Amino acid sequence: MSVHPDVRRGLRDVIPVLVPVVPFALVLGLVVAESRLSNLVGWLGASVIFGGSAQLTVVTLSAEGAGLAAIVAAGLVVQTRHFMYSAAFAPVFAAQPRWFRWLGPYFLIDQQFALTSLRMDDPPASFRRYYLTVGSTFWIVWQATVALGLVVGPVVPEEWSLDFAVPLLFVGLLTAAIDSRPALVAAVAAGAVTWATLGVPNRLGIILGALAGIAAGVGASRR
Amino acid sequence: MSLSSIALVATVVVGAGTYLMRSSFIHALAGREFPPAVREALRYVAPAVMAALVISLGFDGSTEVGWAEVAALVVGGVVGWRTRSLPWVLVAGMVTLWLVRAAA
Repeated sequence: MSVHPDVRRGLRDVIPVLVPVVPFALVLGLVVAESRLSNLVGWLGASVIFGGSAQLTVVTLSAEGAGLAAIVAAGLVVQTRHFMYSAAFAPVFAAQPRWFRWLGPYFLIDQQFALTSLRMDDPPASFRRYYLTVGSTFWIVWQATVALGLVVGPVVPEEWSLDFAVPLLFVGLLTAAIDSRPALVAAVAAGAVTWATLGVPNRLGIILGALAGIAAGVGASRR
Repeated sequence: MSLSSIALVATVVVGAGTYLMRSSFIHALAGREFPPAVREALRYVAPAVMAALVISLGFDGSTEVGWAEVAALVVGGVVGWRTRSLPWVLVAGMVTLWLVRAAA
């Protein structure tokens, strides 16, 4: 069987990117299984949101009893970076058929952007094959691993405290996001304001903290 | 509403919003660009939101935070800063948690 070179290249590139994603998806499934939430929240979110940090945010805040408005706001704010990916890809997608312009954005996660943005100058058909190979491989592995976590969750002994993997994941995402001095200022300001507003109901303090942090980051970058 | 129904509604809304953001410029806003100020602000969304989440989830009093948890988060933070690798953050943090608890 012959595999198209674009497909082969896509598979070759996506495998190393999948390595850090597998434990994330596994923890996500485990956490839903061990929480008070229905497993449906894990199944549905994996395909409807198809984004690890946003789904983890929704799941964790829901399990802690946060208000709907705060959960949705926090989940959406986490995702705003996708505007940037969409803006960057708009010229590339303009040369693509209509069905791909509708399907493609669904796969536009962080790793997808990182890999496929390097292929923007490829011919449209070649770009499309590469993009779909990376996206669909990622999607299949993501769904299967979240599902594995949901199934294995009830079997894992409670003494392992695997729910602690959630704050660890957020700490890991935080340290990965602090890539400049203004980003550090943004994180510190957001943390401080969230701390000061812990008493605000429904965890709306997260939104207040995030907004303060973004403003502080912009302020710091202008000095 | 039960916790699960709230979570399901939030999942659908966040999922729909995510698709709209991912497709925004590809569909509706094709040919337009962000004002530079917005582009700048978007760069600080991730560090700000993640810091807010860590503080809100870690210090709301719902879970007891002991030495083992603090040690695990510090080790996880240092490993994340040095390696920028989520798997190593998980491994280092969980092993620290288990070791400190076993020693206590």
